[in-house]
Amino acid sequence: MSKSKPVILKNIIKNYIGNEGKLFTAVDNISLEIKSGEFLTLLGPSGCGKTTTLRMIAGFEIPTSGEIYIGDDMVNSLTPDKRDTAMVFQSYALFPHLNIYENIAYGLKLKRLTKGEIDKKVKDILELIGLSGLEKRAPNQLSGGQQQRVALARAIVMEPSVLLFDEPLSNLDAKLRVYMRSEIRRIQKEVGITSIYVTHDQSEAMSMSDRVVVMNKGIIEQVGTPNEIYNQPATEFVADFIGVANILDCKVDEEGSDYTNIILFDRKINLKKKFNNIKKSKVVIRPEFFEVDENGKFEGIVDTSVFMGEYQEYFVNVDKTRIIIKDYNPITKRVYNTGEKIRFGINEKCIHII
Amino acid sequence: MKDRFRNSVYEMKKILRDPILTATIVLTMISLVLFILWPIYDVLKESFLENDGSFTLRYLIGAIKDAENQKVLINTLMLGTVVGILSTIVGFIFAYADAFIKFKFKGLFNIIAILPIISPPFALSMSFIMLFGQRGFITYKLLGLQNANIYGFAGLVLVQTLTFFPIAYLVLVGLLKQIDPSFEEAARNLGASRKDVFKTIVFPLVRPGIANAFLLVFIQSVADFGNGMVIGGNFTTLAVKTYLQAMGNYDIKGGTALATVLLTISIVMFVLQKYWVGNKSYVTVTGKPSRERNLIEDKVIKIPIQTICFLISAFIILLYILIPYGSVVNLWGIDYGFTLKHYSYVTSLGMKPILDTTYLSLISMPITGLLGMIIAFLIVRKRFIGRGAVEFVSMLSMAIPGTVIGMGYVLAYNTKPLVLTGTATIIVIAFVFRSMPVGIRSGVASLQQIDPAIEEAAQDLGANSYKVFTSVTIPLIKSAFFSGLVYSFVRSMTAVSAVIFLISAKYNLLTTSIMSQVDVGRYGIAAAYSTILIVIVVVVVGVMKLLLSKIGINTSELNS
Repeated sequence: MSKSKPVILKNIIKNYIGNEGKLFTAVDNISLEIKSGEFLTLLGPSGCGKTTTLRMIAGFEIPTSGEIYIGDDMVNSLTPDKRDTAMVFQSYALFPHLNIYENIAYGLKLKRLTKGEIDKKVKDILELIGLSGLEKRAPNQLSGGQQQRVALARAIVMEPSVLLFDEPLSNLDAKLRVYMRSEIRRIQKEVGITSIYVTHDQSEAMSMSDRVVVMNKGIIEQVGTPNEIYNQPATEFVADFIGVANILDCKVDEEGSDYTNIILFDRKINLKKKFNNIKKSKVVIRPEFFEVDENGKFEGIVDTSVFMGEYQEYFVNVDKTRIIIKDYNPITKRVYNTGEKIRFGINEKCIHII
Repeated sequence: MKDRFRNSVYEMKKILRDPILTATIVLTMISLVLFILWPIYDVLKESFLENDGSFTLRYLIGAIKDAENQKVLINTLMLGTVVGILSTIVGFIFAYADAFIKFKFKGLFNIIAILPIISPPFALSMSFIMLFGQRGFITYKLLGLQNANIYGFAGLVLVQTLTFFPIAYLVLVGLLKQIDPSFEEAARNLGASRKDVFKTIVFPLVRPGIANAFLLVFIQSVADFGNGMVIGGNFTTLAVKTYLQAMGNYDIKGGTALATVLLTISIVMFVLQKYWVGNKSYVTVTGKPSRERNLIEDKVIKIPIQTICFLISAFIILLYILIPYGSVVNLWGIDYGFTLKHYSYVTSLGMKPILDTTYLSLISMPITGLLGMIIAFLIVRKRFIGRGAVEFVSMLSMAIPGTVIGMGYVLAYNTKPLVLTGTATIIVIAFVFRSMPVGIRSGVASLQQIDPAIEEAAQDLGANSYKVFTSVTIPLIKSAFFSGLVYSFVRSMTAVSAVIFLISAKYNLLTTSIMSQVDVGRYGIAAAYSTILIVIVVVVVGVMKLLLSKIGINTSELNS
């Protein structure tokens, strides 16, 4: 669809009055550009400002300062009904007094489309979401997943420039959530609308997004593709928030234009890469980046050993540092028990320094 | 504090983007100022200002120093306290029976709770006089007493308690039913006897509710004008005295000074109730109980409570039955022969107040309903500067004694810029602003149950504020809306204390006509009027409920 538009946030600040009457900053000077047709996720723990940001784009909140652009238009002064956005709510927010057809047609009627046009659009969208035949049902006669899809249809049928999602899957059970992820992604790709998706669920963010924005305490920690976020976290927060990470102190021994030598656990490691922005001299190593190996470079004592099915999880003490190692396919390997010595290596390509 | 103010000023930008919303807020505020605050201000102004405009405490001090007024003040406070305590006790017994005890006649409780609402506020006084007065059925006919005197403190206490205890009952039964039975089971499990459970669990949990019930009844008792007029006798209360001073003695200054005192008592109690006790009630009790309580069947507890409730209920119902009965006997106390002459009098000479009252009540009904829902919507959903004030003022009108507001209307709308005295408009306005708080309250309660995202979704899909309100908000809270309509009609039909100041030769009302008939001892005609009033109310409410249930709307909220 050619209507899709970019969204630009410029130096957005949002202050709130908290419970004790204290001023608190929900969103602290963020700037962001969402490309036309892109699927971008705002990811972060609760209270990080992601929902507030989304609601400012929709127009339910106004920024204390800063500017919001949809396409070329500054929309700060527009009420939600005047903005070309459509939102899928966490609680679905289907109109309980209207049936499915009327729910989806609600916005189209306000656009003053003819009956015939409305009918065609509603029929088409029901087809797209796979709910044809349920037009006459009341929202509470549908399952959670079906309600979810109606909410999505009601938004998409408006053919907005921007689609907004406020944790739309958090009320579904685990299996349905996984299914709906791919459904939403499929439908979004099909209609090609710029989409901004808010969630605190990292697997949702990773599996659906073109880019992920990790937020914490009102600021943006990192913007990147899911791959970048996972493998090259910009900050300790991102490393810790996304997946499981060992964040270990190291010493940067020597830096060249195309290599970095570090010292970790008193051993030298040569990394064939230059890291920009090293601030804290810490390495981020995912548990699965360790390789349990009798000839490995490092040695530790197993503190806890847990069989998790697809992998064996070890908590290992190396000197005074505790690390987590995931050893996949334990059935094919030797399993270490508590108190045993364990040797392991590190896949050097996977080491990231922050 | 400064940050806070600056931020809320900033948040107003969000409202100001929306012209419809802004206009609605402004108009609502203007109407509240015009029809609630301004009349009160005029009462205060009259009592604190000399005719030349200089400030004085002369009238207030004069009113307070006056020995008779002091007695009136003491009477009023004593009456409020005694009625408050008695009503709370009776209300608690009924509520406990309803929530905790296996009981056959619970249907009675609903009737008992609704009767005072659908009848004139002084209906029980009339019945009491018919039973216990000088020519009373019991005192004169059965006991042969020559000079029975029901007028005064004892009569008022009894009548007010029977009229107002349903308020306490409704407050307390709500709380008691909300207590999760697992609390009591946990206590029993830890070794508490049933008595211990009552003393250590149930009672402490409803203690704020008890204070709340007491204060609500107190406010009603102090503001009660009708019963005081009819059965008070020489025991004068502040509400009655205020009216007599202003309208009987034409001492407006003295009347407003008394009104100021009355208003002060009511507002203090209201603030106490709303901000001190009102909030506490919800802290201890969490949400809906997980499952139903096992009701008590133990005879030692059941039989006495059941007996008390049954006797009181039966007595009240008897009192109400006396009204239609009294309307078809020749001369109460002397000749109990059947007659329809009172009705023929009413239909030939006195139809006008009946028609006027019904007509004006019907006009004010949709206005009240809509305005109530708009205010509820603004209070719950919108964060604008002055929201707290709008909420306070609109609920305040529930606590302001009708006598005070009635006097304020006379003072405020007698002179330019807004001359309304003697018109139907002013009566409609009085009806609207007197009955609105209940609609607001049920609107607020309904809205709080509804996910704000539903309205946001509508706005997000392109609906402006007006469209959101009409196409989503109102349909979602239609039960509260229609309950508000029904209540408004009922309340207007039975109103007396405020409108008694506003009636004129052109517009006389049903309740005031009844009162003047009682005043001259024509109980038959008064009873006929009262019966007609009750019939109109029951018929209109019944028809509305029937129509509404046809389109699938439940208005049972009216009862609570």
